[in-house]
Amino acid sequence: MSEPDGDLELQGLQRELDDAFHTTRPRPAFEDELWLKMQTSRPPARRLGDALAAFFQGIREVPAVPLAAVAAVLVVVIGVGIIAYSGRGHLGGGGASSTAGESAARADQLYAGAFGRLPTPAFNGGAKNATAPQAGAGGAVPEYSGPVQLTWTGKLDLTITSAPVYRYNEPSTSSADQFASALGAVLRERPSGFLGSYSASDYTLKVRGTVQSPPSSPAFFIFSSPSMPAIDAAGAGPQDLANIFLAQHSLTPAWGNTIVVDSSGDPIKVRYQRQFDVAGYGAAPLVDVNGDRYGLEVDLSANRPVLVSGLLPVGLETADYKIVAAGDAVQSVLAASSVGNAATPALTVKLTQAELVYVLVPAGGHSFYEPAYLFSGTFQLNGATLVKRVLVPAVDPSQRTP
Amino acid sequence: MVADRPPFEDLYRDYLGRIYAYVRAQVGTSADAEDITAQVFMNAYQAYARFEARNQTPAAWLFRIARNATLDHFRAHGRRERLRRTIEHQPAAEEDPAGQAEDRIQYRALLAHVAKLPERQRDAISLRHSGLSFDEVGRLMSCSEDAAKMLYHRALKALKEAVQKEGV
Repeated sequence: MSEPDGDLELQGLQRELDDAFHTTRPRPAFEDELWLKMQTSRPPARRLGDALAAFFQGIREVPAVPLAAVAAVLVVVIGVGIIAYSGRGHLGGGGASSTAGESAARADQLYAGAFGRLPTPAFNGGAKNATAPQAGAGGAVPEYSGPVQLTWTGKLDLTITSAPVYRYNEPSTSSADQFASALGAVLRERPSGFLGSYSASDYTLKVRGTVQSPPSSPAFFIFSSPSMPAIDAAGAGPQDLANIFLAQHSLTPAWGNTIVVDSSGDPIKVRYQRQFDVAGYGAAPLVDVNGDRYGLEVDLSANRPVLVSGLLPVGLETADYKIVAAGDAVQSVLAASSVGNAATPALTVKLTQAELVYVLVPAGGHSFYEPAYLFSGTFQLNGATLVKRVLVPAVDPSQRTP
Repeated sequence: MVADRPPFEDLYRDYLGRIYAYVRAQVGTSADAEDITAQVFMNAYQAYARFEARNQTPAAWLFRIARNATLDHFRAHGRRERLRRTIEHQPAAEEDPAGQAEDRIQYRALLAHVAKLPERQRDAISLRHSGLSFDEVGRLMSCSEDAAKMLYHRALKALKEAVQKEGV
Protein backbone atom coordinates (compact mmCIF):
# COMPACT_ATOMS: atom_id res chain seq x y z
CA MET A 1 0.00 0.00 0.00
CA SER A 2 2.68 2.50 1.01
CA GLU A 3 4.16 4.16 -1.98
CA PRO A 4 7.57 5.65 -2.52
CA ASP A 5 7.91 9.07 -1.03
CA GLY A 6 10.92 11.24 -0.52
CA ASP A 7 9.94 11.99 2.98
CA LEU A 8 10.90 9.08 5.19
CA GLU A 9 8.66 10.35 7.91
CA LEU A 10 5.74 10.30 5.55
CA GLN A 11 6.61 6.78 4.54
CA GLY A 12 6.69 5.77 8.18
CA LEU A 13 3.37 7.41 8.72
CA GLN A 14 1.94 5.56 5.74
CA ARG A 15 3.09 2.27 7.21
CA GLU A 16 1.50 3.14 10.52
CA LEU A 17 -1.71 3.98 8.74
CA ASP A 18 -1.59 0.68 6.88
CA ASP A 19 -1.17 -1.13 10.16
CA ALA A 20 -3.86 0.94 11.82
CA PHE A 21 -6.42 0.16 9.15
CA HIS A 22 -5.43 -3.48 8.92
CA THR A 23 -5.61 -4.11 12.64
CA THR A 24 -8.68 -2.11 13.51
CA ARG A 25 -11.47 -4.64 13.64
CA PRO A 26 -14.79 -4.87 15.48
CA ARG A 27 -15.20 -6.98 18.56
CA PRO A 28 -15.51 -10.65 17.60
CA ALA A 29 -19.19 -11.02 18.51
CA PHE A 30 -20.18 -8.13 16.27
CA GLU A 31 -19.68 -10.17 13.13
CA ASP A 32 -22.15 -12.82 14.21
CA GLU A 33 -24.64 -10.34 15.59
CA LEU A 34 -24.74 -8.29 12.44
CA TRP A 35 -24.99 -11.32 10.21
CA LEU A 36 -27.94 -12.57 12.21
CA LYS A 37 -29.60 -9.19 12.03
CA MET A 38 -29.13 -9.05 8.28
CA GLN A 39 -30.50 -12.50 7.74
CA THR A 40 -33.60 -11.71 9.69
CA SER A 41 -34.34 -8.32 8.19
CA ARG A 42 -36.85 -8.99 5.51
CA PRO A 43 -39.25 -6.63 3.84
CA PRO A 44 -42.67 -5.94 5.35
CA ALA A 45 -44.44 -7.66 2.47
CA ARG A 46 -42.57 -10.82 3.21
CA ARG A 47 -43.38 -10.50 6.87
CA LEU A 48 -47.06 -10.18 6.10
CA GLY A 49 -46.88 -13.35 4.06
CA ASP A 50 -45.16 -15.07 6.92
CA ALA A 51 -47.80 -13.86 9.32
CA LEU A 52 -50.55 -15.34 7.18
CA ALA A 53 -48.60 -18.55 6.79
CA ALA A 54 -48.14 -18.75 10.50
CA PHE A 55 -51.86 -18.25 11.03
CA PHE A 56 -52.86 -21.01 8.64
CA GLN A 57 -50.27 -23.31 10.10
CA GLY A 58 -51.70 -22.55 13.47
CA ILE A 59 -53.45 -25.79 14.15
CA ARG A 60 -50.66 -28.15 14.80
CA GLU A 61 -50.84 -31.56 16.32
CA VAL A 62 -50.20 -31.54 20.01
CA PRO A 63 -47.59 -34.16 20.62
CA ALA A 64 -48.24 -37.12 22.80
CA VAL A 65 -45.71 -36.01 25.31
CA PRO A 66 -46.52 -35.66 28.95
CA LEU A 67 -45.54 -32.15 28.96
CA ALA A 68 -47.67 -30.96 31.45
CA ALA A 69 -44.85 -30.37 33.61
CA VAL A 70 -42.94 -28.26 31.37
CA ALA A 71 -42.97 -24.68 32.36
CA ALA A 72 -44.63 -25.09 35.68
CA VAL A 73 -41.34 -25.44 37.43
CA LEU A 74 -39.93 -22.53 35.54
CA VAL A 75 -42.81 -20.44 36.74
CA VAL A 76 -41.95 -21.35 40.29
CA VAL A 77 -38.28 -20.79 39.87
CA ILE A 78 -38.33 -17.57 37.99
CA GLY A 79 -41.57 -16.22 39.22
CA VAL A 80 -43.18 -15.18 36.04
CA GLY A 81 -43.08 -18.32 34.01
CA ILE A 82 -39.98 -17.57 32.08
CA ILE A 83 -39.58 -19.78 29.12
CA ALA A 84 -36.66 -19.11 27.02
CA TYR A 85 -36.62 -18.86 23.34
CA SER A 86 -33.39 -19.01 21.55
CA GLY A 87 -32.71 -19.08 18.04
CA ARG A 88 -31.03 -18.67 14.86
CA GLY A 89 -32.59 -15.91 12.93
CA HIS A 90 -35.95 -15.27 14.42
CA LEU A 91 -36.23 -11.54 14.10
CA GLY A 92 -37.42 -11.52 10.57
CA GLY A 93 -40.48 -13.23 11.74
CA GLY A 94 -42.33 -15.64 9.71
CA GLY A 95 -43.51 -19.10 10.39
CA ALA A 96 -40.34 -21.01 10.22
CA SER A 97 -39.93 -20.15 6.61
CA SER A 98 -37.38 -21.92 4.51
CA THR A 99 -35.67 -18.61 3.91
CA ALA A 100 -35.01 -18.12 7.56
CA GLY A 101 -33.80 -21.68 7.87
CA GLU A 102 -31.49 -21.41 4.94
CA SER A 103 -30.17 -18.13 6.19
CA ALA A 104 -29.43 -19.61 9.55
CA ALA A 105 -27.71 -22.53 7.91
CA ARG A 106 -25.56 -20.17 5.89
CA ALA A 107 -24.72 -18.28 9.03
CA ASP A 108 -23.64 -21.52 10.62
CA GLN A 109 -21.49 -22.41 7.67
CA LEU A 110 -19.68 -19.14 8.02
CA TYR A 111 -18.62 -19.82 11.55
CA ALA A 112 -18.46 -23.55 11.76
CA GLY A 113 -15.47 -25.06 13.43
CA ALA A 114 -14.28 -27.21 16.28
CA PHE A 115 -14.61 -25.65 19.70
CA GLY A 116 -11.89 -27.59 21.48
CA ARG A 117 -12.69 -29.39 24.71
CA LEU A 118 -16.13 -28.56 25.95
CA PRO A 119 -17.19 -27.68 29.46
CA THR A 120 -19.04 -30.44 31.24
CA PRO A 121 -22.69 -29.70 31.97
CA ALA A 122 -23.70 -29.23 35.57
CA PHE A 123 -27.14 -30.66 36.04
CA ASN A 124 -27.51 -30.29 39.74
CA GLY A 125 -27.19 -26.78 41.04
CA GLY A 126 -23.72 -26.41 39.70
CA ALA A 127 -22.42 -29.78 40.77
CA LYS A 128 -19.94 -31.08 38.29
CA ASN A 129 -20.98 -34.67 38.83
CA ALA A 130 -23.07 -34.85 35.74
CA THR A 131 -24.04 -38.43 36.32
CA ALA A 132 -25.85 -37.69 39.53
CA PRO A 133 -29.55 -38.38 39.32
CA GLN A 134 -31.58 -35.25 38.94
CA ALA A 135 -35.11 -34.48 39.83
CA GLY A 136 -37.02 -33.47 36.79
CA ALA A 137 -39.83 -30.98 36.79
CA GLY A 138 -43.00 -32.57 37.92
CA GLY A 139 -46.01 -30.70 36.78
CA ALA A 140 -48.80 -33.24 36.66
CA VAL A 141 -46.42 -35.96 37.71
CA PRO A 142 -44.47 -34.94 40.81
CA GLU A 143 -40.81 -35.72 40.95
CA TYR A 144 -38.89 -37.68 43.47
CA SER A 145 -35.49 -36.56 44.63
CA GLY A 146 -34.77 -39.06 47.36
CA PRO A 147 -32.30 -41.92 47.11
CA VAL A 148 -33.07 -44.39 44.38
CA GLN A 149 -31.73 -47.60 43.03
CA LEU A 150 -31.99 -47.26 39.30
CA THR A 151 -32.67 -49.99 36.83
CA TRP A 152 -33.04 -49.73 33.11
CA THR A 153 -35.74 -51.63 31.28
CA GLY A 154 -36.12 -49.39 28.27
CA LYS A 155 -34.57 -49.44 24.86
CA LEU A 156 -32.17 -46.84 23.56
CA ASP A 157 -31.15 -47.49 20.01
CA LEU A 158 -28.74 -44.94 18.71
CA THR A 159 -27.00 -45.32 15.41
CA ILE A 160 -25.14 -42.04 15.46
CA THR A 161 -21.66 -41.61 16.86
CA SER A 162 -21.50 -37.84 16.78
CA ALA A 163 -23.86 -34.94 17.27
CA PRO A 164 -23.63 -31.22 16.70
CA VAL A 165 -22.67 -28.86 19.49
CA TYR A 166 -23.78 -25.26 19.21
CA ARG A 167 -21.92 -22.26 20.52
CA TYR A 168 -22.97 -18.65 20.85
CA ASN A 169 -21.25 -15.51 22.02
CA GLU A 170 -22.73 -13.78 25.00
CA PRO A 171 -25.17 -11.14 23.78
CA SER A 172 -24.17 -7.55 24.39
CA THR A 173 -26.19 -4.51 25.27
CA SER A 174 -25.86 -3.56 21.63
CA SER A 175 -27.42 -6.77 20.42
CA ALA A 176 -30.17 -6.44 23.00
CA ASP A 177 -30.81 -2.91 21.78
CA GLN A 178 -31.00 -4.13 18.20
CA PHE A 179 -33.47 -6.82 19.17
CA ALA A 180 -35.61 -4.26 20.97
CA SER A 181 -35.33 -1.80 18.13
CA ALA A 182 -36.54 -4.41 15.67
CA LEU A 183 -39.60 -4.82 17.86
CA GLY A 184 -40.14 -1.09 17.98
CA ALA A 185 -39.28 -0.74 21.65
CA VAL A 186 -37.21 2.10 23.08
CA LEU A 187 -34.48 1.78 25.69
CA ARG A 188 -35.51 3.07 29.10
CA GLU A 189 -32.86 1.80 31.46
CA ARG A 190 -30.39 -0.95 32.10
CA PRO A 191 -31.49 -2.49 35.36
CA SER A 192 -29.22 -4.80 37.25
CA GLY A 193 -29.31 -8.30 35.87
CA PHE A 194 -30.64 -7.22 32.49
CA LEU A 195 -29.08 -5.98 29.30
CA GLY A 196 -31.88 -3.48 28.97
CA SER A 197 -35.43 -2.54 29.76
CA TYR A 198 -37.43 -1.11 26.89
CA SER A 199 -40.88 0.27 26.38
CA ALA A 200 -43.30 0.15 23.49
CA SER A 201 -46.80 1.50 23.19
CA ASP A 202 -48.47 -1.41 24.90
CA TYR A 203 -45.79 -3.47 26.56
CA THR A 204 -42.52 -3.44 28.43
CA LEU A 205 -39.63 -5.50 27.15
CA LYS A 206 -36.75 -6.77 29.23
CA VAL A 207 -33.73 -8.56 27.86
CA ARG A 208 -31.12 -10.43 29.80
CA GLY A 209 -28.04 -12.45 28.99
CA THR A 210 -27.01 -15.94 30.04
CA VAL A 211 -27.47 -16.82 33.69
CA GLN A 212 -24.60 -18.97 34.90
CA SER A 213 -26.34 -20.78 37.74
CA PRO A 214 -28.76 -22.32 37.48
CA PRO A 215 -28.00 -22.24 33.77
CA SER A 216 -30.51 -20.16 31.90
CA SER A 217 -30.36 -19.02 28.33
CA PRO A 218 -30.35 -15.38 27.17
CA ALA A 219 -33.97 -14.39 27.20
CA PHE A 220 -36.48 -11.68 26.54
CA PHE A 221 -39.68 -10.94 28.40
CA ILE A 222 -42.60 -8.96 27.09
CA PHE A 223 -44.92 -7.74 29.82
CA SER A 224 -48.10 -6.38 28.36
CA SER A 225 -49.59 -3.16 29.63
CA PRO A 226 -53.31 -2.75 30.26
CA SER A 227 -53.59 -1.10 26.86
CA MET A 228 -52.48 -4.28 25.10
CA PRO A 229 -55.53 -5.21 23.03
CA ALA A 230 -57.01 -8.66 22.82
CA ILE A 231 -56.22 -10.49 19.61
CA ASP A 232 -59.26 -10.29 17.41
CA ALA A 233 -59.58 -13.51 15.43
CA ALA A 234 -63.02 -15.09 15.40
CA GLY A 235 -62.94 -18.78 16.12
CA ALA A 236 -59.22 -18.86 16.79
CA GLY A 237 -57.91 -21.03 19.56
CA PRO A 238 -55.06 -20.17 21.94
CA GLN A 239 -52.45 -21.58 19.60
CA ASP A 240 -53.80 -19.53 16.71
CA LEU A 241 -53.82 -16.41 18.86
CA ALA A 242 -50.25 -17.00 19.96
CA ASN A 243 -49.17 -17.59 16.38
CA ILE A 244 -50.81 -14.37 15.30
CA PHE A 245 -49.19 -12.36 18.06
CA LEU A 246 -45.75 -13.78 17.33
CA ALA A 247 -46.12 -13.24 13.61
CA GLN A 248 -47.28 -9.67 14.11
CA HIS A 249 -44.16 -8.99 16.15
CA SER A 250 -41.79 -11.01 13.97
CA LEU A 251 -41.15 -13.37 16.82
CA THR A 252 -42.33 -16.60 15.24
CA PRO A 253 -39.71 -19.23 15.98
CA ALA A 254 -37.62 -20.06 12.97
CA TRP A 255 -36.33 -23.17 14.69
CA GLY A 256 -38.01 -26.52 14.92
CA ASN A 257 -40.42 -26.81 17.77
CA THR A 258 -43.23 -28.72 19.33
CA ILE A 259 -46.22 -26.67 20.41
CA VAL A 260 -47.99 -27.47 23.63
CA VAL A 261 -51.04 -25.70 24.97
CA ASP A 262 -51.76 -25.71 28.69
CA SER A 263 -55.36 -24.64 29.14
CA SER A 264 -55.65 -25.86 32.69
CA GLY A 265 -55.69 -22.40 34.19
CA ASP A 266 -55.65 -18.70 33.53
CA PRO A 267 -53.56 -17.57 31.77
CA ILE A 268 -53.53 -20.22 29.08
CA LYS A 269 -49.96 -21.03 28.16
CA VAL A 270 -48.87 -21.75 24.62
CA ARG A 271 -45.39 -23.21 24.61
CA TYR A 272 -43.06 -23.61 21.69
CA GLN A 273 -40.49 -26.14 22.78
CA ARG A 274 -37.30 -25.84 20.85
CA GLN A 275 -35.75 -28.77 19.06
CA PHE A 276 -32.36 -29.28 17.48
CA ASP A 277 -32.13 -31.45 14.40
CA VAL A 278 -29.57 -34.21 14.71
CA ALA A 279 -28.74 -35.98 11.47
CA GLY A 280 -29.45 -39.69 11.76
CA TYR A 281 -31.47 -39.24 14.92
CA GLY A 282 -34.17 -36.63 14.46
CA ALA A 283 -35.34 -33.81 16.66
CA ALA A 284 -33.71 -33.47 20.07
CA PRO A 285 -35.51 -31.13 22.45
CA LEU A 286 -33.81 -28.39 24.41
CA VAL A 287 -34.21 -29.00 28.13
CA ASP A 288 -33.17 -27.25 31.31
CA VAL A 289 -31.18 -28.82 34.13
CA ASN A 290 -34.32 -30.52 35.36
CA GLY A 291 -35.07 -32.08 32.03
CA ASP A 292 -37.92 -29.72 31.27
CA ARG A 293 -38.34 -28.64 27.68
CA TYR A 294 -38.36 -24.99 26.83
CA GLY A 295 -38.33 -22.54 23.96
CA LEU A 296 -40.87 -19.76 23.92
CA GLU A 297 -44.09 -19.17 25.80
CA VAL A 298 -47.09 -16.98 25.17
CA ASP A 299 -49.43 -16.53 28.13
CA LEU A 300 -52.94 -15.55 27.16
CA SER A 301 -55.73 -14.26 29.34
CA ALA A 302 -59.07 -13.45 27.72
CA ASN A 303 -57.35 -13.59 24.34
CA ARG A 304 -54.82 -10.97 25.51
CA PRO A 305 -51.12 -11.78 25.61
CA VAL A 306 -50.09 -10.98 29.15
CA LEU A 307 -46.56 -12.34 29.04
CA VAL A 308 -44.37 -13.52 26.21
CA SER A 309 -40.98 -14.91 27.07
CA GLY A 310 -38.34 -16.72 25.14
CA LEU A 311 -34.70 -17.08 24.32
CA LEU A 312 -32.99 -14.04 22.93
CA PRO A 313 -31.87 -14.77 19.37
CA VAL A 314 -28.18 -15.46 19.16
CA GLY A 315 -25.95 -16.48 16.30
CA LEU A 316 -25.05 -20.14 16.63
CA GLU A 317 -21.88 -21.77 15.45
CA THR A 318 -21.91 -25.53 15.14
CA ALA A 319 -19.35 -28.31 15.29
CA ASP A 320 -19.75 -32.07 15.46
CA TYR A 321 -18.54 -33.94 18.52
CA LYS A 322 -18.18 -37.60 19.31
CA ILE A 323 -20.85 -38.83 21.69
CA VAL A 324 -20.86 -41.76 24.08
CA ALA A 325 -22.61 -44.93 22.97
CA ALA A 326 -26.07 -45.63 24.28
CA GLY A 327 -24.86 -48.59 26.32
CA ASP A 328 -22.23 -46.48 28.04
CA ALA A 329 -24.81 -43.82 28.80
CA VAL A 330 -27.04 -46.43 30.41
CA GLN A 331 -24.14 -47.70 32.51
CA SER A 332 -23.32 -44.22 33.73
CA VAL A 333 -26.92 -43.72 34.77
CA LEU A 334 -27.09 -46.99 36.64
CA ALA A 335 -23.80 -46.23 38.34
CA ALA A 336 -25.35 -43.08 39.67
CA SER A 337 -27.81 -44.96 41.86
CA SER A 338 -27.75 -43.55 45.32
CA VAL A 339 -27.57 -45.46 48.54
CA GLY A 340 -30.31 -45.03 51.07
CA ASN A 341 -30.13 -45.28 54.81
CA ALA A 342 -32.30 -46.57 57.58
CA ALA A 343 -34.41 -43.43 57.62
CA THR A 344 -34.77 -43.13 53.88
CA PRO A 345 -34.21 -46.41 52.15
CA ALA A 346 -33.46 -46.22 48.47
CA LEU A 347 -36.38 -46.89 46.23
CA THR A 348 -36.00 -48.98 43.18
CA VAL A 349 -36.98 -47.00 40.11
CA LYS A 350 -37.26 -48.44 36.66
CA LEU A 351 -36.09 -46.04 34.02
CA THR A 352 -38.04 -46.89 30.94
CA GLN A 353 -37.45 -44.03 28.52
CA ALA A 354 -34.40 -42.25 27.16
CA GLU A 355 -33.84 -39.65 24.52
CA LEU A 356 -31.20 -37.35 23.18
CA VAL A 357 -31.70 -33.78 24.34
CA TYR A 358 -29.78 -30.52 24.39
CA VAL A 359 -28.74 -28.58 27.46
CA LEU A 360 -27.28 -25.14 27.98
CA VAL A 361 -23.73 -25.07 29.30
CA PRO A 362 -22.67 -21.51 30.19
CA ALA A 363 -19.00 -20.78 29.74
CA GLY A 364 -18.52 -17.07 30.24
CA GLY A 365 -18.02 -15.07 27.07
CA HIS A 366 -19.60 -17.82 25.07
CA SER A 367 -21.84 -20.72 25.96
CA PHE A 368 -22.82 -24.02 24.45
CA TYR A 369 -25.84 -26.12 23.68
CA GLU A 370 -24.53 -29.63 24.18
CA PRO A 371 -26.23 -32.98 23.63
CA ALA A 372 -27.19 -35.05 26.66
CA TYR A 373 -29.17 -38.17 27.44
CA LEU A 374 -32.36 -37.79 29.42
CA PHE A 375 -33.56 -40.96 31.15
CA SER A 376 -36.90 -41.11 32.92
CA GLY A 377 -39.27 -43.48 34.60
CA THR A 378 -42.36 -43.30 36.76
CA PHE A 379 -43.07 -45.20 39.93
CA GLN A 380 -45.59 -45.34 42.75
CA LEU A 381 -44.93 -44.06 46.23
CA ASN A 382 -47.61 -43.92 48.89
CA GLY A 383 -50.28 -44.13 46.24
CA ALA A 384 -48.89 -41.28 44.22
CA THR A 385 -47.28 -41.51 40.82
CA LEU A 386 -43.85 -39.90 40.76
CA VAL A 387 -41.31 -39.44 38.02
CA LYS A 388 -37.58 -39.76 38.12
CA ARG A 389 -35.37 -38.09 35.53
CA VAL A 390 -31.67 -38.41 35.07
CA LEU A 391 -29.52 -36.34 32.75
CA VAL A 392 -26.06 -37.43 31.66
CA PRO A 393 -23.73 -35.71 29.23
CA ALA A 394 -23.68 -37.19 25.76
CA VAL A 395 -20.43 -35.66 24.58
CA ASP A 396 -17.63 -38.18 24.92
CA PRO A 397 -15.52 -37.55 28.05
CA SER A 398 -12.42 -37.27 25.89
CA GLN A 399 -13.98 -34.21 24.29
CA ARG A 400 -14.82 -32.51 27.58
CA THR A 401 -12.92 -30.78 30.30
CA PRO A 402 -12.82 -32.82 33.52
CA MET B 1 -27.41 -14.72 -9.09
CA VAL B 2 -25.43 -12.99 -11.76
CA ALA B 3 -22.45 -15.10 -12.76
CA ASP B 4 -19.79 -12.52 -11.96
CA ARG B 5 -21.35 -11.43 -8.72
CA PRO B 6 -19.84 -13.16 -5.69
CA PRO B 7 -22.10 -14.48 -2.94
CA PHE B 8 -22.92 -11.78 -0.45
CA GLU B 9 -21.51 -13.97 2.30
CA ASP B 10 -18.11 -13.63 0.67
CA LEU B 11 -18.36 -9.87 0.60
CA TYR B 12 -19.45 -9.82 4.18
CA ARG B 13 -16.57 -11.98 5.29
CA ASP B 14 -13.99 -10.11 3.23
CA TYR B 15 -15.08 -6.56 3.84
CA LEU B 16 -16.66 -6.34 7.27
CA GLY B 17 -13.38 -5.59 8.96
CA ARG B 18 -12.24 -3.11 6.32
CA ILE B 19 -15.50 -1.24 6.30
CA TYR B 20 -15.49 -1.12 10.06
CA ALA B 21 -11.95 0.25 10.12
CA TYR B 22 -12.86 2.90 7.56
CA VAL B 23 -15.89 3.99 9.54
CA ARG B 24 -14.04 3.76 12.83
CA ALA B 25 -11.42 6.18 11.54
CA GLN B 26 -14.16 8.63 10.69
CA VAL B 27 -16.30 8.63 13.79
CA GLY B 28 -13.94 8.06 16.68
CA THR B 29 -15.97 5.69 18.83
CA SER B 30 -16.49 2.00 18.39
CA ALA B 31 -20.17 2.27 19.28
CA ASP B 32 -20.86 4.66 16.43
CA ALA B 33 -18.64 2.64 14.13
CA GLU B 34 -20.67 -0.49 14.87
CA ASP B 35 -23.95 1.32 14.25
CA ILE B 36 -22.80 2.71 10.93
CA THR B 37 -21.14 -0.51 9.82
CA ALA B 38 -24.34 -2.37 10.59
CA GLN B 39 -26.29 0.13 8.53
CA VAL B 40 -23.83 -0.21 5.67
CA PHE B 41 -24.20 -3.95 5.44
CA MET B 42 -27.95 -3.87 5.98
CA ASN B 43 -28.23 -1.46 3.07
CA ALA B 44 -25.82 -3.45 0.97
CA TYR B 45 -27.61 -6.69 1.69
CA GLN B 46 -30.91 -5.26 0.57
CA ALA B 47 -29.41 -3.64 -2.51
CA TYR B 48 -27.14 -6.47 -3.58
CA ALA B 49 -29.56 -7.71 -6.21
CA ARG B 50 -29.03 -4.44 -8.01
CA PHE B 51 -25.25 -4.48 -7.78
CA GLU B 52 -23.63 -4.64 -11.21
CA ALA B 53 -20.19 -6.15 -10.98
CA ARG B 54 -19.44 -4.99 -14.49
CA ASN B 55 -19.55 -1.36 -13.52
CA GLN B 56 -17.56 -1.30 -10.33
CA THR B 57 -15.72 -3.54 -7.91
CA PRO B 58 -17.48 -4.81 -4.82
CA ALA B 59 -15.01 -2.80 -2.76
CA ALA B 60 -15.86 0.45 -4.49
CA TRP B 61 -19.56 -0.32 -4.18
CA LEU B 62 -19.36 -1.11 -0.48
CA PHE B 63 -17.16 1.85 0.33
CA ARG B 64 -19.56 4.13 -1.50
CA ILE B 65 -22.35 2.89 0.74
CA ALA B 66 -20.09 3.26 3.76
CA ARG B 67 -19.09 6.77 2.79
CA ASN B 68 -22.70 7.82 2.33
CA ALA B 69 -23.71 6.25 5.61
CA THR B 70 -20.91 8.06 7.40
CA LEU B 71 -21.86 11.37 5.84
CA ASP B 72 -25.48 10.76 6.81
CA HIS B 73 -24.32 10.07 10.32
CA PHE B 74 -22.51 13.37 10.55
CA ARG B 75 -25.41 15.23 9.02
CA ALA B 76 -27.78 13.68 11.49
CA HIS B 77 -25.72 14.22 14.57
CA GLY B 78 -23.60 17.19 13.79
CA ARG B 79 -19.97 16.55 13.19
CA ARG B 80 -18.69 19.34 15.35
CA GLU B 81 -20.68 18.31 18.35
CA ARG B 82 -19.84 14.68 17.88
CA LEU B 83 -16.15 15.34 17.56
CA ARG B 84 -16.20 17.58 20.58
CA ARG B 85 -17.83 14.89 22.61
CA THR B 86 -15.92 11.91 21.30
CA ILE B 87 -12.46 13.34 20.97
CA GLU B 88 -12.01 16.24 23.34
CA HIS B 89 -14.04 14.58 26.04
CA GLN B 90 -13.51 11.01 25.03
CA PRO B 91 -15.16 8.80 27.61
CA ALA B 92 -13.13 6.32 29.54
CA ALA B 93 -12.87 2.97 27.85
CA GLU B 94 -15.04 1.31 30.45
CA GLU B 95 -17.90 3.65 29.57
CA ASP B 96 -18.05 2.35 26.03
CA PRO B 97 -19.33 -1.23 26.08
CA ALA B 98 -18.36 -1.86 22.49
CA GLY B 99 -14.95 -0.35 23.16
CA GLN B 100 -14.42 -2.73 26.02
CA ALA B 101 -14.77 -5.66 23.69
CA GLU B 102 -12.88 -4.09 20.84
CA ASP B 103 -9.48 -5.40 21.65
CA ARG B 104 -7.90 -5.32 18.25
CA ILE B 105 -7.56 -1.61 17.68
CA GLN B 106 -3.96 -0.66 18.29
CA TYR B 107 -3.76 2.79 16.82
CA ARG B 108 -6.45 4.73 18.63
CA ALA B 109 -4.45 7.93 18.86
CA LEU B 110 -3.47 7.88 15.21
CA LEU B 111 -7.03 7.27 14.11
CA ALA B 112 -8.17 10.04 16.42
CA HIS B 113 -5.87 12.38 14.52
CA VAL B 114 -7.30 11.13 11.24
CA ALA B 115 -10.79 11.81 12.55
CA LYS B 116 -9.84 15.43 13.22
CA LEU B 117 -8.71 16.13 9.67
CA PRO B 118 -10.95 18.15 7.35
CA GLU B 119 -13.63 15.97 5.84
CA ARG B 120 -12.16 15.39 2.38
CA GLN B 121 -8.64 14.84 3.69
CA ARG B 122 -9.95 12.42 6.25
CA ASP B 123 -11.88 10.62 3.57
CA ALA B 124 -8.92 10.38 1.22
CA ILE B 125 -6.69 8.94 3.92
CA SER B 126 -9.31 6.47 5.10
CA LEU B 127 -10.30 5.25 1.65
CA ARG B 128 -6.74 4.92 0.45
CA HIS B 129 -5.58 2.97 3.50
CA SER B 130 -8.67 0.82 3.33
CA GLY B 131 -7.17 -0.65 0.19
CA LEU B 132 -8.75 1.35 -2.59
CA SER B 133 -6.79 2.54 -5.60
CA PHE B 134 -6.45 6.26 -6.27
CA ASP B 135 -8.73 5.76 -9.22
CA GLU B 136 -11.40 4.31 -6.91
CA VAL B 137 -10.81 7.01 -4.32
CA GLY B 138 -11.24 9.65 -7.01
CA ARG B 139 -14.45 8.10 -8.28
CA LEU B 140 -15.89 7.94 -4.80
CA MET B 141 -14.92 11.52 -4.07
CA SER B 142 -16.05 12.78 -7.45
CA CYS B 143 -12.62 13.88 -8.60
CA SER B 144 -9.90 12.64 -10.91
CA GLU B 145 -7.27 10.11 -9.97
CA ASP B 146 -4.61 12.81 -9.94
CA ALA B 147 -6.73 15.06 -7.77
CA ALA B 148 -7.25 12.17 -5.39
CA LYS B 149 -3.47 11.68 -5.18
CA MET B 150 -2.90 15.35 -4.45
CA LEU B 151 -5.64 15.40 -1.86
CA TYR B 152 -4.21 12.30 -0.23
CA HIS B 153 -0.68 13.70 -0.02
CA ARG B 154 -1.95 16.96 1.42
CA ALA B 155 -3.88 14.98 3.97
CA LEU B 156 -0.83 12.91 4.78
CA LYS B 157 1.26 16.00 5.42
CA ALA B 158 -1.47 17.54 7.53
CA LEU B 159 -1.68 14.36 9.53
CA LYS B 160 2.07 14.27 10.03
CA GLU B 161 2.03 17.81 11.33
CA ALA B 162 -0.82 17.02 13.68
CA VAL B 163 0.96 13.96 14.99
CA GLN B 164 4.20 15.87 15.50
CA LYS B 165 2.36 18.66 17.22
CA GLU B 166 0.24 16.60 19.55
CA GLY B 167 1.96 13.23 19.52
CA VAL B 168 0.50 9.81 19.04
